Formats: sequence, C-alpha cells, structure tokens
Amino acid sequence: MKVTLRTDVLTNNNKAAEFNRELFESTKTLVINLMSSPGAGKTTLLEETVRALSEKYRIAVIEGDLATERDANRIRSMGAKAVQINTHGGCHLDARMVAAALGEFDLDEIDILFIENVGNLVCPSGYDLGQNHKVAVLSVPEGNDKITKYPQMFMRTELVLLNKIDLLPYLDFNVEEAKQDLSEINPQSVLIPLSARTNEGLHEWFSWIEGAYNRCVQQ
Amino acid sequence: MHEMALMGDIVQLIEEDATAQGITKIEKVELIVGEISNAMPDALRMAFEIFRDQNLHFFSQDAQLVIHTEEAKAQCVLCGTQYRPRQKIALCPECKIPSGKLLSGETFQILSYEGSSD
Ligand SMILES: Nc1nc2c(ncn2[C@@H]2O[C@H](COP(=O)(O)OP(=O)(O)OP(=O)(O)O)[C@@H](O)[C@H]2O)c(=O)[nH]1
Ligand SMILES: [Mg+2]
Ligand SMILES: [Zn+2]
Repeated sequence: MKVTLRTDVLTNNNKAAEFNRELFESTKTLVINLMSSPGAGKTTLLEETVRALSEKYRIAVIEGDLATERDANRIRSMGAKAVQINTHGGCHLDARMVAAALGEFDLDEIDILFIENVGNLVCPSGYDLGQNHKVAVLSVPEGNDKITKYPQMFMRTELVLLNKIDLLPYLDFNVEEAKQDLSEINPQSVLIPLSARTNEGLHEWFSWIEGAYNRCVQQ
Repeated sequence: MHEMALMGDIVQLIEEDATAQGITKIEKVELIVGEISNAMPDALRMAFEIFRDQNLHFFSQDAQLVIHTEEAKAQCVLCGTQYRPRQKIALCPECKIPSGKLLSGETFQILSYEGSSD
C-alpha cells in the first residue's frame, strides 16, 4: 500500500515555531535570531548591545552553545537575563529548544529577546524559531567569499552585521565587494559594517533595532 | 551536518501516519529534496540505512529510500528569464541585475511511503 504524504520534514519544528511566534506577538516581544560562523563576534556584539540599550529596553538573551555556559555568563555579567541552551553537539537551535527555554522568562516583562544561535553558517538558517528577524554576523577575518559560499544563509537573513572592521587595515577584506555579492544574493538585505571592539558603526545597528522594535509594538 | 536527526524526524512522521493507517512494515520511502534545501542526499541515504538496520521491526530488510531532487529555479521579475541560480541566487543572467525570485529548490518533503500490514 502506498501512502502519499507530501509532509514537510520540518513540520514539527514549524509547529513549534508558530507556537513561539504567537507567544511573541501576544506579548509584543521583538525577537532577533543571530547567526554566524564560530567566533564572528555574536556574544561580544550582544554584550555591547545590552550595555547600550538596557536603559531603554528590557533585554533578554537565549544562548545556544554546544556544551558550555560561558556565553550566558558573559551576558549576565552585563546585567541582562540569559538562558543557556546546550545542544549537546547539535549544530543548530530548533524551535522546540527555544519553546522549552521560554519557560524561564516572563515575556510580558521583556521588550527584546536575542537568540544567539550555535556558531555555524549552514544549519541554523534552515530552522524557523518563530523570530521576527534573522540576522547574520560576518566578520572581517573570515574573508569576502563567505557570502557567496553560503548563499543559503544570506538569502534568508535580512541584515548582515559585518563585524571586526577595526581589522580592515590588516586584512584584504573588500567591503564594497561584499555589499555587491550580498545584493546579488538577497537584494533586500542590508549590510552594516561595525566593530564590537571599537564600537564604530554600532549606532547604526542600534537604530535598526529601534526601528524593528517600534514596528513590532505597533502591530 | 544533522542528517541523522532529520532522518529521525522523517521516521517519526512516517511511523505516526503508518500507525494510524494500520501499516506495520515499511518497504519504501520517497523524499523530495531541493537543491538548495540544507539537506545532503548522500548523508540522508546513509542515515536511512542506519535507521532501517536498527529498526527491522518497522522496516523490511531491503526497504529503500528514493530521493527526487527538486531543481533550483529562479525567474527574473523584469525580463521573465528563467534560470538555474548558482551562488548569486538573485542575479538575472540576462539583465545582470539582482531581479530574480526563487521559484523552486527549497523543498524538503516526505513525498510518500509504501508498506504492508503484516
Ligand atoms: N578585533 C576584534 N575582535 C573582536 C570583535 N568582536 C569580537 N571580537 C573577538 O572575537 C572573538 C570571538 O568573539 P565572540 O563574541 O565570542 O564570538 P561568537 O560569535 O559569540 O563565538 P561562538 O559563540 O563561539 O560562535 C573574541 O576574542 C572577541 O574578543 C571586533 O569587533 N574586533
Ligand atoms: Mg558566542
Ligand atoms: Zn532579467
């Protein structure tokens, strides 16, 4: 007997993502899913973001990590609530893991929730977590070619934070070429060059967040 | 990559449906895998064999996995040209501007399964 299903393999993930999304909408929480390769600077950027914006917004962070609690502790030391999800070797966060972690928060008391995904440019992009926005972090030492090498990531993110621009004088990263490549993969996507070390360009990221937050609460 | 985990999801979805249909032994599974979905066909085949060999109460010994590849296709919204997107997915080969929209290639579905009830 043959049974035709035509069921999406990620059906269960998508259901959990819808569950999360409804929760985020009903509590007017802006949720940003941050993705990058390992070490691009997600946690450092979040530390600086919490430092700059925690007077204005109530911020919380979910930290995806293969095994440790380190990144969550870094965020806590900046004064924001952070919950660590250890994926035990899993290469991405999925919506069920996020749903389980949400039990640790009172979303009514949170304006912005950042989700730091596991450092990996391939797998995380395929998993809807129920977020409002997917944002990629790319760093100068990784080189220009990452955008065209991992088009699946960059076609699914609406913003690319190009981090570590303080290192531009020492490396051959070409920002204009990166912008061009990005526009040919995802013309809607925006690239913001910045440095979580020197804070150059961070204000542009902060105003992007502000705009996204205003749109989120007006809905 | 995480094809073992994906295969776990696939087997679970099939098991749920088969139980409801009264099917107890699976002989064939067909998937549609888009070229730019994140799944890798070879790794899926390997994962399928491992699951099958470990679950012979549910799979027949020679149960097979058939993968239908869905080509990635895009179309330019300006000139209508259809093309096979490579890395620069949105770049129309005719207009040379990023005016292409993806038509297919992201699907990752269980198309069907075959089994019997003994
Ligand atoms: N020079 C420079 N170094 C940076 C910058 N941002 C982060 N770093 C350094 O890059 C390293 C990795 O930063 P993390 O913030 O831990 O990176 P991550 O993306 O969270 O890493 P994983 O969670 O392991 O994937 C640290 O040594 C940071 O100090 C920057 O703008 N410039
Ligand atoms: Mg980190
Ligand atoms: Zn065209």
